[in-house]
Amino acid sequence: MAVRITRPGKNSLILETPVMPAAGTAGYSEAYRDLCDLDKLGAFVTNPVTSAPWTPASGTRVVPLEAGVLIHTGLPNPGLSRVLALHRDKWRRLPLPVILHLVLTSAEDARRCMALLEEEDAVDGIELGLNDDLPPAEAARLVHVAVSCSEKPLLVRLPFHASVDMAKAIANAGADGLVACAPPRGTARDAGGRLVAGRIYGPLIKPLALRTAGLIARSAGIPVIGAGGIHSAQDARDYLDAGAVAVQVDSATWITPHLLELIARDLGGLVITQPSGALPDEWHPGMGETERGQRIGGSTTQKDAQNR
Amino acid sequence: MKETHALIERIKRVNATHQRLYLTVDPALAQLKAGQSVLARVQESWLPYLRQQWWPVATEKNALIIERPAAETYTPGQIISLIGAVGQPFRFRRMLRNVLLMAWRTEPTPLLMTIAPLLGNRIGVTLVLLGEAAAYQVEHLPPEVEILTGDADMNWPNRVTTVGWADQVLAVVPEHDELDGFGRIWALFNELRAEVPANYLFGVFRPPLPCGVGACQACIVRTRGGPATNWPMVCTDGPALDLTEVATWR
Repeated sequence: MAVRITRPGKNSLILETPVMPAAGTAGYSEAYRDLCDLDKLGAFVTNPVTSAPWTPASGTRVVPLEAGVLIHTGLPNPGLSRVLALHRDKWRRLPLPVILHLVLTSAEDARRCMALLEEEDAVDGIELGLNDDLPPAEAARLVHVAVSCSEKPLLVRLPFHASVDMAKAIANAGADGLVACAPPRGTARDAGGRLVAGRIYGPLIKPLALRTAGLIARSAGIPVIGAGGIHSAQDARDYLDAGAVAVQVDSATWITPHLLELIARDLGGLVITQPSGALPDEWHPGMGETERGQRIGGSTTQKDAQNR
Repeated sequence: MKETHALIERIKRVNATHQRLYLTVDPALAQLKAGQSVLARVQESWLPYLRQQWWPVATEKNALIIERPAAETYTPGQIISLIGAVGQPFRFRRMLRNVLLMAWRTEPTPLLMTIAPLLGNRIGVTLVLLGEAAAYQVEHLPPEVEILTGDADMNWPNRVTTVGWADQVLAVVPEHDELDGFGRIWALFNELRAEVPANYLFGVFRPPLPCGVGACQACIVRTRGGPATNWPMVCTDGPALDLTEVATWR
């Protein structure tokens, strides 16, 4: 089941499965290697990377909420050059396309980073993270600069409150695809009584983000990837029904890591059905190949599973 | 690192405030060392959303013994989803005679698993309970452990001697204000010792861990110098971090 997640063209990005982790939820490459079978995913989206090193936020970074969580990490990263040096080889070994999530703050940043990434064969696509407060015209200008500096497929992750007009402006600026949308920002009181601002994750985000994704998918004219609050395969299918071509799973991966693989298997047409004669401890509904491999031994790759 | 299910075999109340859960676990988790923990999800709903960090106090064959507040309700036969092992085992110096365990205004649970192996190696263990931690009842702990109690201002009897005798220190403070708590402990040891050497005073960090595998980067601790790549994450490099390296309050 191949899915094209960018505009048609010679550098179009085509995925085997329409499911990938959202930026900031699965690390740079190897964090979930023991908990999730990455080759069942369509692509791997890295944690956010900036041109220069960014330090972690000081103070409270995590505020548990009712059925959700508020997180403010400050997007710590060692800068684009160092990230490439550290992870280039691991990305080359991954059995799926790598999409680097790039946070740009200026046109100069865009030129420098895109020039660097243009030469990088370990990165198959770029997802641009936009500042939530950037006016649509400014965002479109930044995207235009980025597009003009690189031929790599460029996705743009829209802010949570993005309007259809903003999506159209960014599409017209040359973006190859859109991600709708980033987690919303909020403020909550931590256990010490301090107010903390950050991004909010949880199942309640899904109906809100689904509406935005649906509106944008109907009018943007380029492929849209749905993201926000996906916590089940049905949630993911809702995004596809709303017009998205693929989905990004965010914080659900932290709580139940096997869910990412499960959703990918479900949407990718790779659901394991009950093998004939399977004992109760050898199969359960929703079982992934990773788990089945662990229970009955042997390799967990698709090829080996088919041969078995 | 594995995502597995565990079964609560039995529950034992150990004092007025805490109970112990005897979990049958995957063999890999029964190998946990002191300092390592698991992230537990008690029910299928999203309330609470984040997994709870559970600290083992001992292991048995295919079993993990977890200490939880007595106010929480569990039942034998209950299935728990676990992710683990989270973190690195506590590292001790080779030449060690006395270890000081400190709990300031919080229960000492994350430190308790280290007691049995230390005593087994004929190393003296002193447990200092300060402030609210002094309410933790210790009758179930081995009698060889020296227990001292003190106030929230970190005053306890013979504290100069206690600190002087310790070859290594592990401390826990309230989860919601760790930097302030460890800053106070750092200041105390600087007052009581001429010098706080490296690999001597360790804080056991316990921030909320959304992922536990180093993916979300919410638990990075800023340390002295170095590029961002060298900064440790509590979930993968902790929980015990050398307070001479954690530079926030210096």
